[in-house]
Amino acid sequence: MSFRRKLLLMFTLTVFVAVAAVAWTVSVITRRAFEQSEQERTQALVAQFHREFNRRGQEVASRVDAIAGSEAAARMALDLSRQPGNAGAYVNEAPSEAKAQQLDFLEFADAGGGIISSAQWPAKFGYKEPLLANVSQPSVNAFLKREELPNGAALGLFAVRTIRMGDKALYVIGGRRLDQEFLASLELPAGTRAMLYTAGGATYSPGALVDAAGRVPQAEKLQPLVERVQSTGAEQSSVVSWSSDSADSENVDAIPLKTEQGELLGMLLVANSRRALVAVEARIRSASLLVAGLALVVAIVVSSWMAARVTRPVEQLAEAAREVAAGNWHAQVQVDASDELGEMANAFNRMTEELTEQRERLVQAERVAAWRELARRLAHELKNPLFPLQITVENLLKAREHGGEQFDEVFRESASTLLAEISNLKTIIGRFSEFSRMPQPQLQAVDINQLVRNVLQVHQAQLAAEGRPVIAIELQLDDTLGKVAADPELLHRALANLVLNAIDAMPRGGTLTLRTRAGADSFFIEVSDTGTGLSKEECDRLFTPYYTTKEHGTGLGLAIAQSVVSDHQGRITVKSARGQGTTFVIELPRRREDAAQFSARTG
Amino acid sequence: MRPIAWPLLVISSVLALAAAGTAAVRPRYGGTLRIMLRETSVSLDPARLSAVQGARIFPLMFEGLTRFDAHGRLQPELATRWQSDSSNQHWQFWLRPGVKFHDGTPLTAEAASASLRAANPSWRVSADGDSVVIETAAPDVELPAELALPRNGIARHAGNKVVGTGAFAVSDWQPGRSLALTANEDYWGGRPFVDSVVVTLGQNWRQQMVALELGKADVVEVAPEQARRLSSAGRTITESAANELVALVFTREPQSADETRVRQALSAAIDRASIVNVLLQGQGLAADTILPNWMTGYAMLFAEAGQHTGNVDAGPVTGTMTLSYDASDPANQLIAERVALNARDAGISVQTAASAANADARLVRIALASPQPQLALQVVAGATGLAIPQFQGTAPEELYEREKEMLQSGRIFPVAHVPEAAAIAPGVNGWRADLSGGWQLADVWLGSTP
Repeated sequence: MSFRRKLLLMFTLTVFVAVAAVAWTVSVITRRAFEQSEQERTQALVAQFHREFNRRGQEVASRVDAIAGSEAAARMALDLSRQPGNAGAYVNEAPSEAKAQQLDFLEFADAGGGIISSAQWPAKFGYKEPLLANVSQPSVNAFLKREELPNGAALGLFAVRTIRMGDKALYVIGGRRLDQEFLASLELPAGTRAMLYTAGGATYSPGALVDAAGRVPQAEKLQPLVERVQSTGAEQSSVVSWSSDSADSENVDAIPLKTEQGELLGMLLVANSRRALVAVEARIRSASLLVAGLALVVAIVVSSWMAARVTRPVEQLAEAAREVAAGNWHAQVQVDASDELGEMANAFNRMTEELTEQRERLVQAERVAAWRELARRLAHELKNPLFPLQITVENLLKAREHGGEQFDEVFRESASTLLAEISNLKTIIGRFSEFSRMPQPQLQAVDINQLVRNVLQVHQAQLAAEGRPVIAIELQLDDTLGKVAADPELLHRALANLVLNAIDAMPRGGTLTLRTRAGADSFFIEVSDTGTGLSKEECDRLFTPYYTTKEHGTGLGLAIAQSVVSDHQGRITVKSARGQGTTFVIELPRRREDAAQFSARTG
Repeated sequence: MRPIAWPLLVISSVLALAAAGTAAVRPRYGGTLRIMLRETSVSLDPARLSAVQGARIFPLMFEGLTRFDAHGRLQPELATRWQSDSSNQHWQFWLRPGVKFHDGTPLTAEAASASLRAANPSWRVSADGDSVVIETAAPDVELPAELALPRNGIARHAGNKVVGTGAFAVSDWQPGRSLALTANEDYWGGRPFVDSVVVTLGQNWRQQMVALELGKADVVEVAPEQARRLSSAGRTITESAANELVALVFTREPQSADETRVRQALSAAIDRASIVNVLLQGQGLAADTILPNWMTGYAMLFAEAGQHTGNVDAGPVTGTMTLSYDASDPANQLIAERVALNARDAGISVQTAASAANADARLVRIALASPQPQLALQVVAGATGLAIPQFQGTAPEELYEREKEMLQSGRIFPVAHVPEAAAIAPGVNGWRADLSGGWQLADVWLGSTP
């Protein structure tokens, strides 16, 4: 990843994290404020329910009062005080009175608690009313009671009144049922609903939970709340989610419904929808996300501009460094800044200028050294033939001075010597001329392994010469190499120079190894000897023209070999150590397409 | 004397009522008698009736070969005499001469035979001169009494109409809704006093009482438990003998001794006295037997034997028993709920349900249909799905044994015997009801009495 991108990412992340933190903080604070408001609203609703509940109780009590004060009830009480056995005649009294007073429950009971007439269970006459059996003095206030009915039990708000005729009492027990009709009669604000759990005991019965529409679906979700009320006996509240949609949830407050003795009969659940709250939270969240998104876009744009401004000099420096690495030592950086980056750019410019000057000086020095070496080598090469020439000419002059018969003989011998030495001089000059005129390679398909064999064949006679120490030949040729594109004559000359050097390096005999092998994109030709080896300094200068370690070498053999290999876009290296022999490695590109092309052309 | 006390009381009151009417003024002809009934008959063909149906209105149109009089004695009707062979399988009935159907067709032995064959496919009925010969597969000593049932009324199919020989002829028929009858001028027993009778069907007790209060009906049915209150309010109420059986009928035989014990415990737990005294307002009698004591005279034997009284341990009871009742009868529902309450005290869970098809038991109210006890027992057995008891003779011992067998089957548990009651508007005179609940409207006449 580039420096600019890293910088851009860092800037962007910094801005994003900062904006996200602010948005989250605002969202949390706002949500808590709204939730607190919702809790207060729910509490107000619960308080309203308590008031409504009390009002309903008072209404029941007043209706029971009306029945107890009616003429019919007084007549019944009077009749029964006189003729207790006549109770059967009043068995149908309660249903009609209950209907008139719009009560769901109404019973008339005698002084012993026996039911005379029951509106809710007409067949129950004669049975004892449990309420009167357990309570000596019934409460004057409305109270909660579980009433047994033919098809189960029901919760109700009850009131009891007593009609006394002498020492005989007639009880009037009336009530309103707490059921879904009761819930439907409650006036509720929008978004709220009331539920009634009508089962007692410590276990949860989902079927006992109803709202104004009937049985509550997914009633099991209220089980934890109901069980908390059952275990604590106190009012509890909870948030209930009805589906994966967070808007489909309610704040539910469970109010225990108890008898005057504290027995838990059921509970009233007031549910306040959280849909509005969730919608507000969603709007806040959307706004936060929008702000964060905009901030992110702005941060990216600004960061891009800043990163570009900061990294431009660095990129220019990097580009200039890449040019220097590619060989353009004249690369310069244009930086206007006066900060550290400006100083760095100026230092870079000074460095490249210094490097250029040093390279020119080095080239100049090398050129001088090369000329000196050339002069030295020329002097050395030319000095050897010149000395016999001088001696021969001097002998010829002496013979001319002495005259006589010996002059002709000396003349002939001297002339022969002079011609020989002149020829020698021509050879020397020809070799120098040849080096200066190295031709460009003419590529064609070449079987490298065969080329190696041919080179070895040329030197076979030299190796087998009488009296010469034995040099063993070892060929390790890679048969998978195939044909490659190369100039066979130039490559032959370069390889012959290497073989000749190897033979010269083993004056006491040894092993000459010729090896070919294929690489991924190149092929290798190795020439190894088991001679005395070379020092590191010798290795470093080995390919310098006119440098030689041999007594009578021209120093051009390895230079020619390097020139040939270089013209083939390859390279030649040497591995050597004292006493361990020397190995020259020629690495040439494969150029399969060219080889195939040449092969097709030549074949 | 107890067995006959009830019928005598009822009969004497009815006769006294009739005598008071006749003694005051001479009967008058004319007028329309308006009657309301709960039943919803959809056919006027007697052959399509069951043994317990049709007692109210069918005898007005269709007469049988025999009939029961107000004292519950079998009397000739369309047959003047009859006889059987010693096996009681071959019966011969001689027809009353000069009787005509409402369409003017003379009553013949062939017509009577065809009518009886349609109602009783298992009988071999044939005409022999002016007599009808009936052959049954088994001895049937109750055959003459059976011929008095409304379903054995002699009818003739004339086109798409069914005509009889009774005191009234059909003038308009709206199935299930209303029936208009006209006095039969050629009735062999003499023309009835009223010119016509209009019967409105399918009216519940409340609707009937409202119609009576508004003067839109002359005779309405009254729920027995309302009879005392209405009588106290000054209404003229007539009651039959306690000829309806209220009973708990199980839909199948008990499958084990435990089930038998549970049923017996349930029956023993039923507070029959409270049901009669409170729910039925004293109109009826707590019943330990299928047939009322006034019919048999031996009911006390079952009570003394503790057949259905006393506590019976139900043992461990699992499951809930369903008891269905006729929702159109408020008293029936209350009795069912009271039975469920009593059962709960005995540790038996009973759930009441209105007309539940798959109930374990039903609370039924069955009209005994005939004052003849053997026939009444057979009718009850047929109506409740029990095996029909067969009789070799009319001996009370045999009757007792057959009834005892029915009670011991564990299928039927009597609760009460209740009378049928009717309220009569002030202008209706000469009213007379027989023991089986039938109304003798031919003697009724309309007119204010001083």
